[in-house]
Amino acid sequence: MSKILNHLEEWIIATLMGAATVIIFVAVVHRYASGLSIPYIQDALIKINMSWAQEACIYMFVWMAKFGAAYGVRTGIHVGVDVLINQLGDKNRGRFIIFGLLAGAFFTGIVGTLGATFVWEIGHTEQVSADLEMPMWIVYLAVPLGSYLMCFRFLQVGWTFWKTGELPKHDHAHVEGIEDIKAEMVDPFHPAPVKSGGNA
Amino acid sequence: MNAAIIFVLLFALMLTGMPISISLGLTVLTFLFTMTNVPIESVALKLFTGIEKFEIMAIPFFILAGNFLTHGGVAKRMINFATSMIGHWHGGLGLAGVMACALFAAVSGSSPATVVAIGSLILPAMVAQGFPKGFGAGVITTAGALGILIPPSIAMVIFAVATNTSIGALFMAGLIPGIVLAMLLGLTTWYRARKFGYPRMKKATWGERWHAFRASAWGLLLVFIVLGGIYSGFFTPTEAAAVSAVYAFIIAVFVYKDMPLRRVGKVLLDSASMSAMLLYIITNAVLFSFLMTSEQVPQALTSWLLSMGLGPITFLLAVNILLLLAGNVMEPSSIILIMAPILFPVAVKLGIDPVHFGILIVVNMEVGMCHPPVGLNLYVASGITKMGITELTVAVWPWLATMLGFLMVVTYWPGLSLWLPKTLGMSW
Repeated sequence: MSKILNHLEEWIIATLMGAATVIIFVAVVHRYASGLSIPYIQDALIKINMSWAQEACIYMFVWMAKFGAAYGVRTGIHVGVDVLINQLGDKNRGRFIIFGLLAGAFFTGIVGTLGATFVWEIGHTEQVSADLEMPMWIVYLAVPLGSYLMCFRFLQVGWTFWKTGELPKHDHAHVEGIEDIKAEMVDPFHPAPVKSGGNA
Repeated sequence: MNAAIIFVLLFALMLTGMPISISLGLTVLTFLFTMTNVPIESVALKLFTGIEKFEIMAIPFFILAGNFLTHGGVAKRMINFATSMIGHWHGGLGLAGVMACALFAAVSGSSPATVVAIGSLILPAMVAQGFPKGFGAGVITTAGALGILIPPSIAMVIFAVATNTSIGALFMAGLIPGIVLAMLLGLTTWYRARKFGYPRMKKATWGERWHAFRASAWGLLLVFIVLGGIYSGFFTPTEAAAVSAVYAFIIAVFVYKDMPLRRVGKVLLDSASMSAMLLYIITNAVLFSFLMTSEQVPQALTSWLLSMGLGPITFLLAVNILLLLAGNVMEPSSIILIMAPILFPVAVKLGIDPVHFGILIVVNMEVGMCHPPVGLNLYVASGITKMGITELTVAVWPWLATMLGFLMVVTYWPGLSLWLPKTLGMSW
């Protein structure tokens, strides 16, 4: 179950990223290609309407941002100011980390609820988006869904940390084609893990 | 009074080590529920519409383009080209390292990745040639930061978004300062290498140079597509970013063949999660700056400065000190997102050019990446060289001092940044 959710999450954000790129690229090519006076092809191109591309791109990235932020909690990509707490002993740092994760769950929980209310209200109106004419509540559904998922991820990471003392850690300096060099790199924007469980 | 509470709360939350986005969001929520009667609905709306601007979408596209080309193979080509051009001067590989960093940073856009890519290839070679470890580390740590000044730069897009400044003008304005800083870092390298008699390389023939240039040109063309495309009006910055992402994909997969097609999914996923992280900070920072504006913090700051009789000169000095201090605890995008909306209206009121102000902030961020306690480049360099942070800090100082001197020049000589966009007839 959890595995399916993980894959779905990854699949959604990677696809949105790729598709948005292709859409904008095609829209640009289309704009210039339909300006070339090639018989038949030009007429065919002019008939295709690409004016919805910008709006589609924005909404795709809004969805990507909400779900990507949840994925980021699972992979530890969110940056913070960890210079101070990394100076603390394991026990106290553990407390701060738990506090931070719970605060994250709390905030995303509130936003999710606000978002759900908002979507509920807007769902009872006839509001549609400007170009795609898509109902706005579908567009904004990203907020409650993404926020609740993020809330769940914060709790999940917090639970693992409580049990094992491990935190997901993203490597901000990874370069393809270069073997890993930063074996023991401590970085100032992420909390260091603690040795035993966070409840120690 | 309220403003003071907001800031204390924000800093307290940030210092607990929770994600910056969450501390921003919680600060705003606390404020809204306890101190104001701004209707919560209007804020909810901000939460959804905060990132609905097409300009912001340049960020994910540039990240994607950079990730396609952030590859050891690309770094190797840049190093070969740089070495063939200037490796025979004093400073040899070190000097070539500065140039390679500038080139790689321009296409990759990530400073820490530049340090890793160029550093892990060139540093062992430098040590083998007899350079002291600290010399190479100093060169690469500082030159790796050039990425956020040389366009396309994500830090500049973030500034543009936070202040409604023209992305195209910022990119153009960053070009000359970027090249000048690269030359100054090179000069420092050259001077020290000559003084201590470090090894030089054999002079390359023009044939070798042409060959090395051809190999690296595909990557470098990306910068020209972006700048040329935006300047000529061929596309908007966001479209330029999307086109450069497709271009980078074609180069990485089909021309350089560094990346097998099956890795593309992973690159998409990594870029998406990196962008989502930034977009999440942006969403919450938009809320925060909305709150700042509704509390009239920039206005209060401006009238206070004016009542003290402080002009632009003192203000800019204070901005530099403030940003350098902030650079001690936070990473660049968050600093820009939190500080720019507050400082920018003041700067404009004092008659400082918006684009010049943006470049100044970006150079500040560069300095922040290279000094302790949180300079990310230092940490990455320490990972590569296995040197301690303290030892590295000592090694970095000649170049860091150069950067600080350059920061002063950029601060008080607007012409350095503004000449190119003005000459090109850009308006903003």
